[in-house]
Amino acid sequence: MLVTQNGAELCALLIDEIYGELPSRIFAVLLNRGRSSLPQLVQYTSMSPRQLRHGLAVLNQHSLLYFDVNSDNGMTVYEPNTDNAYNLARIGKVLEMVDTSLSPSAKDVMQSLLLSGQTRISDLVAAYQSKIDHASNVAKLVKDEGDDWPELNGTNGDVQVVKMPDTSINSAGQLNSVLCRLVEAELVEVIHKKTFLSPQDILRDVEKETLDKYFLAGVKGGKGKIEFQEKVADGLRKVRDESKSLKRKLEQNGTAAKRRKLFSGVGMSNGNGTHEEESGDPGLDPKQVIRINWEKCLVELRNRRLYQFVADMIGENTAYVYAVLLKLLTKRLARCRLDPTIDIKEGEEDIGVGFVTTDEILDNLKTGIDLSLGLGKATKDKISSKAAEVIHEHPPKKKLFIAEAEVDGDASADEEDEEGSGSESGESDAEYEVRGRSSAPVGNGTKVKFADAAAGKEQRLDRPGQLRQHLLLLAESTQHFVRHCGPDEWTVDFVPLMHTLCEAELDSVIEQRSGKPGLRLVRLLRDKGKLDEKSLQNVALMRKAEVQQKMLEMQTAGFVHIQEVPRDNKADVKKSFFLWFCDIEKSATHLVDTSYRTMVRCLQILEVIRQQEKDVLMLTKRTDVKGREKDVMRKEYYDRYSRFRENEKKLFAQVMRLDDFVSLLRDF
Amino acid sequence: MSRGGGGGRGGRGRGGATFGNGKRAVASNSVPWNADPDLVVDGKPSELFPPYDVPQAPHLSKKEDKQVSFFLLFREQCHDGPLYTQARSWTQDFSKPRRTYGQDQINKRYGQTSKATVDPFLAVPTYAQKFTQSERTLPDLESRPFAKEFFPPELHATLDGDDGGGPASKRRKTGPKTLGLSNITQLKTAEELFLPEGMENGSGNLDKAMEVLATMEKREDGEEDGFLSGEEDDWVKENGEEGEDNAEDEDQYDDDSGDDDYNAEAYFEGNQDEDDYDEGGGGDDGGADYM
Repeated sequence: MLVTQNGAELCALLIDEIYGELPSRIFAVLLNRGRSSLPQLVQYTSMSPRQLRHGLAVLNQHSLLYFDVNSDNGMTVYEPNTDNAYNLARIGKVLEMVDTSLSPSAKDVMQSLLLSGQTRISDLVAAYQSKIDHASNVAKLVKDEGDDWPELNGTNGDVQVVKMPDTSINSAGQLNSVLCRLVEAELVEVIHKKTFLSPQDILRDVEKETLDKYFLAGVKGGKGKIEFQEKVADGLRKVRDESKSLKRKLEQNGTAAKRRKLFSGVGMSNGNGTHEEESGDPGLDPKQVIRINWEKCLVELRNRRLYQFVADMIGENTAYVYAVLLKLLTKRLARCRLDPTIDIKEGEEDIGVGFVTTDEILDNLKTGIDLSLGLGKATKDKISSKAAEVIHEHPPKKKLFIAEAEVDGDASADEEDEEGSGSESGESDAEYEVRGRSSAPVGNGTKVKFADAAAGKEQRLDRPGQLRQHLLLLAESTQHFVRHCGPDEWTVDFVPLMHTLCEAELDSVIEQRSGKPGLRLVRLLRDKGKLDEKSLQNVALMRKAEVQQKMLEMQTAGFVHIQEVPRDNKADVKKSFFLWFCDIEKSATHLVDTSYRTMVRCLQILEVIRQQEKDVLMLTKRTDVKGREKDVMRKEYYDRYSRFRENEKKLFAQVMRLDDFVSLLRDF
Repeated sequence: MSRGGGGGRGGRGRGGATFGNGKRAVASNSVPWNADPDLVVDGKPSELFPPYDVPQAPHLSKKEDKQVSFFLLFREQCHDGPLYTQARSWTQDFSKPRRTYGQDQINKRYGQTSKATVDPFLAVPTYAQKFTQSERTLPDLESRPFAKEFFPPELHATLDGDDGGGPASKRRKTGPKTLGLSNITQLKTAEELFLPEGMENGSGNLDKAMEVLATMEKREDGEEDGFLSGEEDDWVKENGEEGEDNAEDEDQYDDDSGDDDYNAEAYFEGNQDEDDYDEGGGGDDGGADYM
């Protein structure tokens, strides 16, 4: 990630907010100065080497650094990991996501992992073990004292419930299974010896290795170059996949569901301290060191965002179907944006995320969801099922040349027609059959009872059909949330879809900033490409002054851009053309930078408020005040304190909203 | 008539003919109200701060609220952990401009809070300072285990806690290091802190019991650490009995602990020995003064 000044400031402030001043200071200097060694840092910061070493250790523990040890002279150079630093703003979201999509206990483990940074599994287990022991000891004590505490003189179990309502990790076995699930979901990754090398260093190492191994005579010719690049990409992929070693091992042991059945209640097996290859049990290798995998977390956050978007655009039930589809589809997807050096090279066929069949979605839908809701009720003859069920086998191509695109479109339309008609007739037959059957008592017992009970319930039976309707609705939408890529097979083209969403988000910003006319002009430009001012007036049917004013306004805001094209070699300014155009990428980066600045302001304001309310905050932090604030603090102080808390909350909420925006434009 | 070119009206007509004193004369027949006697001139200056519709952020949705509180809870836990450095060496003065030119000026901002820069009027040790949290300037690295193979070799000594603290720094007996999980399990809002009495009694006792247990366990290990919360509490209590003006406070403290016979005070009442007490408060200058 390239860092702007605002981005750098934001990263430093975030680290300051969470990890304290010392690491933040070092990080800021690293950002300003780039790759530096310890002596250099001493010079830059005028801090003592001891302070620096402590700060660097903290930064590294939280994966905020890249470092590289030179094998020749043993010199270590450090580099800031800005992605992870920015991700600190997303902690709340990730925790909430884990909490709702996995379980509260998974959230607890995730939070511990985030708190302690990179952690050896055995340490984590020991920490939880001591906490559990502690809790049970307390419970025992409480039990002994039961008479004195009337409200708690229940059994041991009761006390546990009262005492730890939210940690909910109460055995080592449970911890292990939670960890396994996190590893399976790829939300947790293994640290290997190249994790802390910066991407450039990894590339350098891999290239060197490849050269030594395969190209001793050097890379020659175009063919050799391609081969070299492929080999490098292979090497990079290997390095990247190393972080999934735990997951692979888990997968070797069979499916998750099976294993969970087998080992439920069995504690963490302590005996397998040897090697991961040898042990055949689900206990994770305690020697491995793990941390949060932010890339996968981002994929999950993107799924939630898309769900939200569909819920807004179409409806709750459809969005729910979409969420299930996305969940199935992104199981294997490791990151939102593919790495151009690694992923794109390996050929087009591997980029796709695969597909999901209707049956798979149906299996994963909760039975409590009434699919009949949120669907229009049109009679069969009013729907052109042929048009609705068109199958698009290939992802939409980018419109580079208009002529070419048109040809493509024609060709694919033909194919689709053939295939569509073939599969669709069978489909519709099946649907009719289902509909016809549902009234007659042929299905299994319970269903028939429902059908008898009420005519309205009849519709609930046709779940596959309704599911299909929802999916078709998604596929038909202008945003193309889903692509119908084969009979009963569905996929999502993330790149164009996210592009559309980006555009929509930009549009709403433009509309807020420069009103409807501004948005109209931008859309015109997007549609027509580059336009001269005069032709823009003509196309937009607006007066010259208005157009000029709006365009200038938008240019200062960074929504439209101008290009100067000289008429002849002399490049006379008076004679050259000035073309307006609109570059989404450019405006997006501009907006992202502005958002960074706003986030920085939020955090700075928070600091100012803290300074204003210093006395109250100091008071609440005192050890004698903690726990009995009501007795000690006056009403006035209480009011100030609660107001501060409210403001703090609002400010962080604002930061997170801005992050929503930034992640859509930058990361998704 | 207007001074300089400030008003838009002054420059019109024959205006611009300035006298020696800088005033500008306007020909009496050139002003509009001269030609049109019915004209009412609104001579009020334009408002400096006209009413402006400040955009208001929408209220937090349920989900956002949850996210923010998770974030805040995480932050609290982080601040509670051993790797957080509380000390602010930068005394922020928001009245001064924050712009800096170059690294030197940035560096100069830090390291401002030291013994030399304390405000002499506020730095007189007071009783209440006993209760303020001791600030940590360097992270407490030796208290927890690290996966050392993933750190550069030059940091390994630091991770062990052997990083030149001088002879003054006490070496901790090297036992098995454990990763501590934070005890803060929920974020308390202001309302929760102040309002519910009943809840406090219920869980407060348990918390206290847990604290006691922690102290007990540590004692059993033979560790004598001045930072243990239990001991501090004892210390507070011992001291408080002598403090006249805080008598009421301390009474309440006693009342609290009187509800149950299992808490820190009760446990250590008989056990407390003077050595221990001295060690607990010895490092604190304020304590000595107060005594």
